[in-house]
Amino acid sequence: MKHRLLVLQMATPVLAILFGMLSASVIILAIGRNPLDVYAVMVRFNLTRTDSLFSILFKTTPLIFAGLAVALSFRVSLFNIGVEGQYYIGAFCAALVGFSLRGLPAVLHLPLALLAAAGGAMVWALVPIVLKLRRGAHEVITTIMMNYIASALLLYLINDVFRDPTQIGTPRVRTPLVAAAARVPSLGPLLAPLGLHGSDVEKLNLLLPVGIVIAVVLAYFLSRTRFGYEVRAVAFNPLAAEAAGIPNARVQFGMFMLSAGIAGLVGLNDILGFFGYLDIDFPKGLGFLGISVALLAKNNPLGVIPAALLFGFLDRGAAGVQFFARVPKEIIVILQALIILAIVVAYELLTRYVRTQRKREAELPVTATPAAEATGR
Amino acid sequence: MSDLFIELQGITKRFPGVVANDRVDLTVHRGEIHAIVGENGAGKSTLMRVLYGLYQPDEGTIAVKGHAVTIESPRRALELGIGMVHQHFMLIPVFTVAENVILGSEPVWGFGRLRMREAQQRVAELCRQYGFVLDPTAEVGSLSVGEQQRVEIIKVLYRGAELLILDEPTAVLVPQEVDELFNNLRQLVAQGKTVIFISHKLDEVLAISDQITVLRRGRVVGTVPAAGTTKAQLAEMMVGRPVLVELAHPPVEPGPVRLDVRQVRVPGRGTRPAVRDVSFAVGAGEIYGIAGVEGNGQTELVEALVGLRRITGGQLLIDGRDVTHATARAIRLMGVAHIPEDRHRRGIALPMAVWENMILGHHTREEFTHGALLNRPGIRGFVRRRVGDYDIRVADVEAPVLALSGGNQQKVVVAREFSFAPQVLVAAQPTRGLDIGATEFVMRQLLAARSSGMAVLLVSANLEEILSLSDRVGVMYGGALVAEFARGEVSAAELGLYMTGAGRTGEARAG
Amino acid sequence: MEYMTSLFSVALLASAIRVTMPILLASLGAVHAERGGVVNIGLEGIMIMGTFFGAVGAYAFDTRFPSLAQTWPNLAPLAGVLAAVAAGLLFGLIHALVTITFRVDQIISGVALNLLAGGLARFLNILLFEKATQSPGVRGFTPIDIPLLRDLPALRPLVTGVSPMIITGVVLVAVSQWVLRRTRFGLRLRAVGEYPLAADTLGVNVYHLRYAGVLLSGALAGMAGAYLAIEQARLYFEGMTQGRGFIALAAMIFGNWWPVGALGASALFGYFDALSLRVVRLPVPYQFINVLPHIVTILVLAGFVRRARMPAADGVPYTKEEE
Repeated sequence: MKHRLLVLQMATPVLAILFGMLSASVIILAIGRNPLDVYAVMVRFNLTRTDSLFSILFKTTPLIFAGLAVALSFRVSLFNIGVEGQYYIGAFCAALVGFSLRGLPAVLHLPLALLAAAGGAMVWALVPIVLKLRRGAHEVITTIMMNYIASALLLYLINDVFRDPTQIGTPRVRTPLVAAAARVPSLGPLLAPLGLHGSDVEKLNLLLPVGIVIAVVLAYFLSRTRFGYEVRAVAFNPLAAEAAGIPNARVQFGMFMLSAGIAGLVGLNDILGFFGYLDIDFPKGLGFLGISVALLAKNNPLGVIPAALLFGFLDRGAAGVQFFARVPKEIIVILQALIILAIVVAYELLTRYVRTQRKREAELPVTATPAAEATGR
Repeated sequence: MSDLFIELQGITKRFPGVVANDRVDLTVHRGEIHAIVGENGAGKSTLMRVLYGLYQPDEGTIAVKGHAVTIESPRRALELGIGMVHQHFMLIPVFTVAENVILGSEPVWGFGRLRMREAQQRVAELCRQYGFVLDPTAEVGSLSVGEQQRVEIIKVLYRGAELLILDEPTAVLVPQEVDELFNNLRQLVAQGKTVIFISHKLDEVLAISDQITVLRRGRVVGTVPAAGTTKAQLAEMMVGRPVLVELAHPPVEPGPVRLDVRQVRVPGRGTRPAVRDVSFAVGAGEIYGIAGVEGNGQTELVEALVGLRRITGGQLLIDGRDVTHATARAIRLMGVAHIPEDRHRRGIALPMAVWENMILGHHTREEFTHGALLNRPGIRGFVRRRVGDYDIRVADVEAPVLALSGGNQQKVVVAREFSFAPQVLVAAQPTRGLDIGATEFVMRQLLAARSSGMAVLLVSANLEEILSLSDRVGVMYGGALVAEFARGEVSAAELGLYMTGAGRTGEARAG
Repeated sequence: MEYMTSLFSVALLASAIRVTMPILLASLGAVHAERGGVVNIGLEGIMIMGTFFGAVGAYAFDTRFPSLAQTWPNLAPLAGVLAAVAAGLLFGLIHALVTITFRVDQIISGVALNLLAGGLARFLNILLFEKATQSPGVRGFTPIDIPLLRDLPALRPLVTGVSPMIITGVVLVAVSQWVLRRTRFGLRLRAVGEYPLAADTLGVNVYHLRYAGVLLSGALAGMAGAYLAIEQARLYFEGMTQGRGFIALAAMIFGNWWPVGALGASALFGYFDALSLRVVRLPVPYQFINVLPHIVTILVLAGFVRRARMPAADGVPYTKEEE
């Protein structure tokens, strides 16, 4: 029985992904293309080329951070839809530290930039969380509003305040370059001895292993520590947690800040790991993808890694689909959304099934009392 | 009287892991009050839900007025003249009485426009006909419990029900309201209605019904006429063995005051305080009972005492230390245990494992932690001991607590709260929803706590429980403690008077 | 101080009424969904679908039936509105299916719908117009002068050249208010939003009513999008909804879950929206003027949410079987 449940739990996301692909197939068919061809192109493009493999890993990195950030807030029944705006702010703070300080050694400058990113995002996230805990303002709406405001603020800062003076007169609107000491080291030199070269290999940087380590640490933290236990209690029954002397608001606040801090790092893969500056066209939408990643991972930090990998895979596949199958790459965005809808429905059905099974098993058959449970609402 | 109304034959209803009704036969005649009695979990409610179309039976047949029928929905049940008054009121507080009554069978003009005036008149008529006092335009949220119950009954009558099923209707009423309800029921029967009355309070059953059917563990034990049947006979049928009605209550010399409540004031919703200047003291080895109709400030008082609600006036002392503004955590650490009135709300987290629930609130103790980490082996040993000591029926402590029966869930709470030698126990409605076995277990635990020198505050709406356990009894009404009695000084009926605010304040010894 | 006068001009008021409309229509939709107990945070996505299909519908009618569109110039925009409403209904149906039938968390379903809408609009726009972000221009409804009122000179800017959709919107507020308060449908919808189990035991079909509420919200949010594309911008472009679907939710809360309240609240947001469009001479960077409505939304939620009383079962999935 236990094995069957385990198999079922593993199979659920796979089935949901297949269902999402099936639904997207309808759209592909509707535009007169063969979905099997399109998917085949995507898989071939992604798996048979070294540059694709490394590009997938590169795209996976920020999604790990974004997925973790969203998952942490979900774990305390808060919806941090504001990861998007928080990473804008984080990216800017990191860039600011990166280009304004000079002459620091890398061991100082880079950690400082990372701290600035996390710190800036946390300050930004103070508004929605304080309004939520103090005033009851729904964090979904306030975080979304903060996203728009962050976007506007960033435009202003890049365009009007910190625009690289050497670029004025050109169409490029960006900050000055960050110091070399603040850039995240590439993994290229480590991979070169293995015979792996090329720009996509060079792009891969230290943030990927850092993200994985953070995920592992968080998984341990949430399952084994006292605080992790309190987090579960607050999520599953805040009133009982309160009665047990667990300060709900403080636990929620702590997790939201942790969420925002990690959100602040989302943009750094691109800003400090690749471009070396922040321009107005830097990659956006990663925070929203993080929601999908967290949902697919069922808010489990370890699950975030494969989930991010899948979305990185799809993201890279989009380019292949557009280029070689000549289907607009937006089909992948649609596919992602459909997968999410299928996933949440599938998990819901699974949860209900498991609950009935548990009820059947947990009670020792010797008693005749459970009728009370079955009849009482 | 011999006119057959309902005939159930061989009704079986199964739920995952349990047979709630096992080949139940039931015959109800027109114009009678037919009681169905049994312990919690005997299958009374399930049977009635089958009859009302909320559940479909797995086996068996239903005949109404001699015709075999399938009752697939409450709507169908109502068409057949069967109406149900639920134990938990199915009323929408922000709607008026008339709106609640007509919902689902509204009189309308074109475009679905409500004929509200007509609905109000119809409700008023029904009230007159059956001698109910109700204002059709009043908002239901502002009515008393007894009045809300009348709205429920009117709802059923409005739909033309000839048979009324009342599920534990007296559970929420004080004795005086019970009398009023019984008058209403007699009036209904006199005008040709039939009543099925579900209860486990044997005195009431004997007082009101014509026929009594006893259920035990999902099966019918027998049907007897009320006339000529005694309480003891019924009790034995219900439980399957002679019942110990009296619990030993040996005298215990009260020790020093442990819980001292001085002029405590707790804000409520709006401007009226929920608890008004309440004072009492509980000594070591003493059970202090607080009786009262729900919603008179008991919930707020209890939450204030355990640090879950702000106290805005007065003082709260535990073992002589001022904890008026202490946090729930600090109060817990001082040795105050709390059995909350609603275990699902405040007591346990249903999706969490049994072992996790077993240490809730004690999870920071040294024996359960290694620094910031949880000490799993230490916790496991503790949980295993407690599960054994309290006979908690659970196959796997890793299973979520929601998989347990209500009685076993309450045992988890009790076992946890009795751990680590508490000095003060605040128990709110500790036996609510439990079967006789579990109720007896909890009551014995409370007496054992008293013997061991704990100060026990028992808040309950169950007067029998209050009277049999308490050394002293206080009555709360409108947020104030309106009376206080020593053990044996007061009867249930007298308590009922104070609980409705009718007691003479001159006798009250509060303060 | 010259910009001060422009803060309260009649022209600004007229503009405010115009930009109030999309927020108001979406907010009306939110009222219906939440009165029935379902939170629809997918309104933003549905509005996006509305803007896109509104433009596509109007454009397609114009190009397919040029002679008809010539004779009756209101037909093309009407086709756009209908297409937008249909798309809104479809998205509402998905939300209803996922949240009511499958009982998935309503916020999550809404977020997924928003993602889906963004991708779908881009995808279809590429297929139809060979670029991702913009449709060709479309024609709007013929503006109307309101009789009687148009003769008052002070009100002229407000009552002449009014979009028929504005008049429709105001009528819809009154109708919704009446339906929710005075009709059987309204009573039942509110009942399933307050205490679905109670309604269920009285034979009221909770699922049907919740579906109805969510479908209405889809239709109205679709219409809100159509207004933006057809009446305001006269084309579809990516990102034109600017979070108005979310602002509409705030307007619903501020309006205490009643249509008339939503009208008042939407007007407040509309005023700041109009301000952000007009007053570019304020000594504040334009980027911040643009997010004025968003800032006001946060302030409103922080300041007033405590006073609101939401339907008791709002956001809680209803399940008939025993747990």
